[in-house]
Amino acid sequence: MSNLYDLGALEAHRGINQGDFTAEEYVWSIIERIERVEGKVHAFITLNKENALNDAREIDKKIRTKEDAGSLAGVTVGIKDNISTHGLKTTCASKMLENYVPPYDATVVERLKNHGAIVIGKLNLDEFGMGSTTEYSRYGPTHNPWNLDYVPGGSSGGSGAAVSSRECAISLGSDTGGSVRCPASFCSVVGLKPTYGSVSRFGLISYANSLEQIGPICRTVEDVVTVMNAISGHDPNDNTCFLLRSNVPYLHIKKDTAPSSIAIVKELIDGCDPAVSRTIYSALDKFKEFGWESTEISLKSVNYALPSYYTIAMAEASSNLARYDNIRYGFSLPVEGFEWNTYISNVRSNFGEEVKRRILIGSYVLSSGYYSKYYLKARQLRSLLRQELLSNFGKYDLLVGPTMPVLPFRIGEKIDDPLKMYLMDVDTVLANLAGIPAISIPAGHSNGLPIGLQLMAGPFQEQKLIDAASLLENAIDIARSPEI
Amino acid sequence: MVSKDELRHLGWISRINLSEEEIETFHHQLGDTIKYIDVLETFDSENLTLDYLEVEFSNLREDKTIEFTRDLIPKSSLAQEGYVKGPKMI
Repeated sequence: MSNLYDLGALEAHRGINQGDFTAEEYVWSIIERIERVEGKVHAFITLNKENALNDAREIDKKIRTKEDAGSLAGVTVGIKDNISTHGLKTTCASKMLENYVPPYDATVVERLKNHGAIVIGKLNLDEFGMGSTTEYSRYGPTHNPWNLDYVPGGSSGGSGAAVSSRECAISLGSDTGGSVRCPASFCSVVGLKPTYGSVSRFGLISYANSLEQIGPICRTVEDVVTVMNAISGHDPNDNTCFLLRSNVPYLHIKKDTAPSSIAIVKELIDGCDPAVSRTIYSALDKFKEFGWESTEISLKSVNYALPSYYTIAMAEASSNLARYDNIRYGFSLPVEGFEWNTYISNVRSNFGEEVKRRILIGSYVLSSGYYSKYYLKARQLRSLLRQELLSNFGKYDLLVGPTMPVLPFRIGEKIDDPLKMYLMDVDTVLANLAGIPAISIPAGHSNGLPIGLQLMAGPFQEQKLIDAASLLENAIDIARSPEI
Repeated sequence: MVSKDELRHLGWISRINLSEEEIETFHHQLGDTIKYIDVLETFDSENLTLDYLEVEFSNLREDKTIEFTRDLIPKSSLAQEGYVKGPKMI
């Protein structure tokens, strides 16, 4: 170890707790790192330096007086900028919320703080989480630390890039159709989309409520476990969050893992970039070396998953984003001379192009005459897909495939073709439609660009994902962080 | 396919003013996306049911009055004398 900013969450916590260095020294190291590389990566929208240093001093005081400072004491966390933070701007990477300062913390933020974590800043994303590259941020794109001319994935691109470039130890993202797993894959870090209902969404600014979950992005599986143990569990402020909280940690790292059965989903790997499929099959060989059974299966509803996903997500987006009327927060546009509807239509034209496209299509699929043709059909297919996946989890412990069918690509390369962008989400949307957990774990590199492997498990079976991801992490040593 | 007039109407019901340039671009882009999701029509869903998330009524969040804090008002760019001024409703 040469620098404090290199440390993962558990290492940093251990060092601070044992008195090897102070939380303040560690936070200064992170700030210096941010100052050095942020101009190239652009992972953050807002930095929280002064408050972070003050929080670090509080942690040091607790350590000195032998108080319990928490399981993440002193660890720096970056928060995706669509998750509410008390007193700290939360813009959703939109001009519509440019000056919005939430009066409360999201439950996940409150829980991380209660465990001693220090919020170092708010991370870049595609506007309102709508995108797969972070190019749709109204504050400029984030750059992939592995190649600064390339996209870091999205929509939690800031969360993936900041962890990979060691600008923070851990981060939170939100995953509506792959938004945690895609940047984890493109940036060579670990990203978990938890089961729908295991992590509170209270304070997450909604895009598509029935699909999205908040999840951690970290450099190691062990750090993912630590974050999940801090944030998961029932929250009275979110009726859909029903995982019971207990004193027993939800997840843990096992020393020995018994062999399990995995099934590779044919439709997920067919048609993907040859470099990606080679890497995935090579990772599967590692599982076989440990005595795991591997089978190839075909799921008939998978081919309908992506159109179902986009129909549902855009319908929910058009409804959720109807609330932005510029009255309580938004642009500085005087109301004089405008009638209500004209005023609102004018200010809402300042949404970015992708947000407008999704609202318009959402309105279309919900319109009279089209509702049963698109939205209802998509809902029915969603149910079928869930049943099909659940029946397979009766036969296999895990389903596996690539996280992304393509390698990271150049910034601007696909920006003019929204449909091409949507098609990249083909492997990740299954977990959101079915509400099941999925993890992306680094599996290799091709021409210096990262490739992630995706594992999916049955509802609330995150432990199975952790067991498999941990095994793979120990079996293949994949770099998580490049020189910048 | 969505016609340009339909697109203008969608803009109106979504309360988003669309410029002529946007109508031209979105006309093609939305057309491509809608053509793609048209594949849903080819799936026979006659006997399919819908999944719902069931939440016990007793577990629903309690309706309670939260004290309104006037500290938030000055944060609005439309704040005037302790109130937020909105556009005219006709």
